[in-house]
Amino acid sequence: MGLARYTLYRLLQAIPVLLGITIITFVLANLAPGDPVQLMLAGQEVDEELVEAIEQQYGLDRPLHERYVTYMAGVLEGDLGYSIHWGQPVTELILGRVGPTLLLVLSAYAFAIATAIPLGIIAATRRNEPTDHVSRIVALFGVSTPSFWIGIMLILLFAVQLGWLPSTGLVYPWRGPDAYAWIDTWPELLYQTARHLLLPMIALGTLQMATLMRVERTQMIESLHGEYVTLARAYGVPERTILRKHAFQNAQLPIITIIGLNLSTALSGAVLIEYVFNINGMGRLFIEAIQALDYQLIMGITIVFGTIFVVGVIVTDLSYAYIDPRVTYGEEE
Amino acid sequence: MVTFHHGLSRRQLLAAGASVSAATIAGCIGGNGEDDDAEILDPEEYDYDRDEPDDEDAARQSSMVYTQELERDEDFDPVVSNDAYSFQIITLVFDSLYEFDYEYELQPKVAVDFPDVERDDTRFIYEIHDGIEFHNGEELTASDVAHSFRAPVEEETPNMSTYDMIEEIDVIDDYQLQVDLAHQYGSWELFNQAVDIVPEDARTEDREEFNENPIGSGPFEWHDFQFGEYVELERFDDYWDEPQPYMESIRFEDNVDDASRVSEMLAHDTDAIGDVPNDDWGQLEDEDDIDVHVTESPSVTYIFFNTNEGAGTADPNVRRGIAHAFSLTDYVETYLNNAAIPLVTPTSRITNDLWEFPIEEWDDEIYPEYDPELAEELLDEHAPDDWNPTFMAPDDERATLAERVATRLDEIGYDMEVQTMDFGAMLDQTIYSEADPDNYELYILGWTGGPDPDQYLYSLFHESQEQLTNGHHYDGSDDFHDTIVEARETADQAEREQLYTELIEEVLTELPALPAYTEHNSMATGDHVRDMHVHPQMQYNPHLVSEESNVWIED
Repeated sequence: MGLARYTLYRLLQAIPVLLGITIITFVLANLAPGDPVQLMLAGQEVDEELVEAIEQQYGLDRPLHERYVTYMAGVLEGDLGYSIHWGQPVTELILGRVGPTLLLVLSAYAFAIATAIPLGIIAATRRNEPTDHVSRIVALFGVSTPSFWIGIMLILLFAVQLGWLPSTGLVYPWRGPDAYAWIDTWPELLYQTARHLLLPMIALGTLQMATLMRVERTQMIESLHGEYVTLARAYGVPERTILRKHAFQNAQLPIITIIGLNLSTALSGAVLIEYVFNINGMGRLFIEAIQALDYQLIMGITIVFGTIFVVGVIVTDLSYAYIDPRVTYGEEE
Repeated sequence: MVTFHHGLSRRQLLAAGASVSAATIAGCIGGNGEDDDAEILDPEEYDYDRDEPDDEDAARQSSMVYTQELERDEDFDPVVSNDAYSFQIITLVFDSLYEFDYEYELQPKVAVDFPDVERDDTRFIYEIHDGIEFHNGEELTASDVAHSFRAPVEEETPNMSTYDMIEEIDVIDDYQLQVDLAHQYGSWELFNQAVDIVPEDARTEDREEFNENPIGSGPFEWHDFQFGEYVELERFDDYWDEPQPYMESIRFEDNVDDASRVSEMLAHDTDAIGDVPNDDWGQLEDEDDIDVHVTESPSVTYIFFNTNEGAGTADPNVRRGIAHAFSLTDYVETYLNNAAIPLVTPTSRITNDLWEFPIEEWDDEIYPEYDPELAEELLDEHAPDDWNPTFMAPDDERATLAERVATRLDEIGYDMEVQTMDFGAMLDQTIYSEADPDNYELYILGWTGGPDPDQYLYSLFHESQEQLTNGHHYDGSDDFHDTIVEARETADQAEREQLYTELIEEVLTELPALPAYTEHNSMATGDHVRDMHVHPQMQYNPHLVSEESNVWIED
């Protein structure tokens, strides 16, 4: 099977997965206790007629399966519904919030990869030495500490105590310097973006970093003990070359897998990190949607998160071939 | 029917609602919520003196960032909006016919004076100041005031019930109008007539545009807005009234996470935050360059009893037994000493002060004090056999109170189950339910009322509001519900006071709900923010300019 056919095959496979996500979310959201109309009108003197009128307006008076079919028909046309809480199209709300979340998640991944791989290699090449012990402790701390707690500690240290970095918020580079009264130039805008992003990026990326580092270390140790490495050493290949060309490349496949699978952890972590750092991203919107029992917004965000995850996994699978030429997509004649 | 104004309504039940993560995270920065030696904070000790700048020109270049404690709904048309946090901005952009002072009493603003009252207290003739301009340069006239009264009803907005007793409005000339009510309405002069005035032409031209780019006649005009992120206002230099504001601009952001908001304040990333969490009060107060502000508010928390047939709590003796079983003062001292004060009436303390109710007498003679022996005696005699009540509470500090009640009942031999859930589910299971005793016999919720007792008694106890704003299903004495309506539709305030006294005494005697505590409005500011005074009406905060305060930033 060629790459194109495999890609098509994986995309077709994704359809029932996404459909399953929508069905489960739709049913769970609708079975959850709480009435969105009553919540919307909480505290007001209302009558049954008003409640009925609102239910009719948002289609809440129709049976569950009818609502699902209508909803999915809209989704296929790019319409994710209408937020009962915000009074805005869900697609618009999500588009307004997806940028900060992607910026946060991608930067956290960049931080994780940039730190985990060198640290994993160092730990593997200096196995059972103090450097290895320290890196393992760091990894243990990273995987066992909640990201929101790391975030709060970073805020207390770098924002409150030292005053080096801002405690909350993000500066969005795509808005340009004109959007910020206190920023004049593009370099300044990018500098401020980096300053604001640093703490949430580290808070969210620490778990990814720790996970990746542990896998990288294990894989590198395994590779460095492989027969082909022993053979290369016997041939007198320099250690640096062995490390780079023989051990490192072979050790990266599991890393790619972990990166893909951890996308869901990163997205769910972003929900809390956005709260702690007061970032107006999809995670915060998701919590607000749940608190307001805004079904269509919950559905919309779940579909977007689900799609990001599914696409992420497909891209991960496809990237295997580029990392390791031995990987093929099915039997080759 | 009417009670609410200034965006109270939608947030009334939400007053103490916290975010999911906030409750979890808050403890990381603050304490553990318990302080056995804590004394209950007295808001009067934080009644700061007025302040005046040495350099007025410098003060007029002030700008500040204010961080709100909940996200706004982003509805900025006062005809439509019923969101307290949007209203914190609306009150700076729009002038109202009357406005609340710090004593929570209405004072004329756009109105020249209090209205002439005729036709057996159902006709109100208003005169307004001439020469008031909206931010678009159009003059504010009586016709705009009339539109502001009419529009919520004609457009059936969420604020409709505040004005739907109006029968007719007659614009006499550019500066006078006559408002006729269909019947007497007790809180009209205390509350409802404080309408925010919108420019009829600009608003009706494009309502959606107006909602996101509002034009008022207030001390600040709209400058910039990013949906879900911030609102920036700038001083309106042609403002008609005195004093002119010192602040040149203000930017509103929000941060719903308590710990994160406090961090912002500690890191000086904002100039002021709304709502100081109870456990962070001491830390902020100890900072040399941070001031904390607090005042009493009309927010009250109650324990409601299911009085439906079949519930153990249908018997008033059982309700009284539960009320005697625990100490609310002890609870507030331990968990909410900086954020609340125990309460003995279903109306807030600030409302009680305005109405001069006999609080001490009620406290001494009717309100059930902590008396575990009496509790045991009452419950042993009146509670059903094998009585295992369920107590529902939102998953915030109110759940702690529910747990405490359960613990005390356990000590005298009664098993109570506490169920905590998120706010939406909680409302669905209690207020909006049929009050099945198998589901719950007690629940705890808060309510934000106002200066008029009607704003508590009608919504929380009148039968018409069952499954809308109350879920205890209290039948009351023969004329209980009629008396609530009579008090609402009576203009004679002395007569109303008598009626409310009777009603409150019945509530305290029969206990369909046990008043627990009243919460404070609080704020923290950098000490460079000068002449800030927190207002009891939450929607008025930050209160930047009035005869009683004029905020500026000192370099």
